[in-house]
Amino acid sequence: MFRFQKDQKIANIAGVKIGGNPGELPTALAGTIFYEGHDIVEDANEGLFDRKIAEDLLNSQRASSDETGNPCLVHIFGNTEQALSNYIDFVSEITDSPFLIDSPDPLARMAAAEYVSEIGLGDRAVYNSINMTIGEKECKVLKDSDIDSSIVLGFNAMDSGFKGRMQLLESGTSSMDKGLIDISLECGMCNILIDPGITPMGNGSGVSLRITLAAKAKWGLPVGSGIHNAPSSWEWLRDKKKHDPLVFKMCDIASAVMQQAAAGNFVLYGPIENAPYIFPVAAMSDIMIYESAEEFEIEPASSHPFNRLV
Amino acid sequence: MDTVSEKWPVTKGDFSAGNPKSCIAVVTLASSVPLFEKAAIWGSCKTENLGAEKVVMNVVSNCNIRYVLLCGGESRGHLAGQTLKALYENGIDEDGRILGSEGAIPFIENLEIETIQRFRQQVELIDRTGLTDIDEIYSIVDNYHDSEKPFEASPISFRKAVRKYKPPESISADILISEKVVMDAFSGLIYEIA
Repeated sequence: MFRFQKDQKIANIAGVKIGGNPGELPTALAGTIFYEGHDIVEDANEGLFDRKIAEDLLNSQRASSDETGNPCLVHIFGNTEQALSNYIDFVSEITDSPFLIDSPDPLARMAAAEYVSEIGLGDRAVYNSINMTIGEKECKVLKDSDIDSSIVLGFNAMDSGFKGRMQLLESGTSSMDKGLIDISLECGMCNILIDPGITPMGNGSGVSLRITLAAKAKWGLPVGSGIHNAPSSWEWLRDKKKHDPLVFKMCDIASAVMQQAAAGNFVLYGPIENAPYIFPVAAMSDIMIYESAEEFEIEPASSHPFNRLV
Repeated sequence: MDTVSEKWPVTKGDFSAGNPKSCIAVVTLASSVPLFEKAAIWGSCKTENLGAEKVVMNVVSNCNIRYVLLCGGESRGHLAGQTLKALYENGIDEDGRILGSEGAIPFIENLEIETIQRFRQQVELIDRTGLTDIDEIYSIVDNYHDSEKPFEASPISFRKAVRKYKPPESISADILISEKVVMDAFSGLIYEIA
């Protein structure tokens, strides 16, 4: 569909490559496990869960990934330090995929960053996320950790439009002396994955698509998002879900295609249960995107769905 | 004088309107509690920025609302309940930061300081964060739903800001679409080169 003038950087996270021009690499897909309300979680604070089902879910994502060629990551969500460390122990034992460390509590996230460094898994971890609230303490924790990959969240709560988010990434806000990309580099991040930030439908949900193009054009960094959060928090769709859950699921999964069509390199697709559906959808998009870019002398990776499925 | 804006609630979200003449709005934070029709509006608020904004907008656009009950479980990390309480007690600074909020990204982007002031004057906050007993929540609503006269001012109306398109001062192609068609990613313009 298009080719960027700027050289596109490719992140390499424990062997998983993310980035490049459209059509070059398959879209990386991260399914979330232990999310808020996940029915396999028995105690969200202690991090207790049904290990058998969790293993099946991880294996199902891996099987889908092996089939289509889209690399997978595990998006681990935990409320507390204890929960996150339990989840990390389990996930790292079952799969060799890279994993994202995510928590609404920054202290839990920081503790998890220290924990993965202690147990030698820093190279497989992706910190989620470096964002506009990062302070000295979090910077220091990241600098001192072995983590060198992070999502960098472009959501600017003071100016959530296109310019505000680009500015946050480039030069920061009025209360920051530099942009998030520079801060990430200072925190020791070699693999910077830009997430423009998804806001609800009606609150600028599409801005992230323009930022995807602009950020890749400007910095050449890999870009992606958890775009499904827009339809999944859409009140109208949630009402439809009561009558036909399939409608909700279709919109939730289909939103990934929007991110891919806007040159996105990765998608945080939400509940890991959706792996059997999202991987074929993403593979379909990747094939079409590659075929739209063929004339730009784009060479698809050997693992690309184009080389596997057609 | 009208006490309620046209097309109230003025913004949509995970909440439902009950009786617009009622004095009490119920914010169930991260919990889901069945609507009690005696409340003006009823629903969740999970985020410390857009969620808080929506609460304020739907309150100041209905002068009948004089009480906001915070109940239900707090949203982790976001701390929407603590943030609403901080907003009520301290307001915002010139950057829109909610003073005293411990939430993750506590900023009000789309409302003027005056609107926040109005919210603080119009309502009294009843902080029962953590309360999930439905009978007790209903009983609080019952006690307050018709206990106060409307706030003496006009309801605030909100119009969606119309963003005017400004053509870029300069454009430079950084995305190739075909031999003769290029795109300038920053302005979003696609154009043909001669």
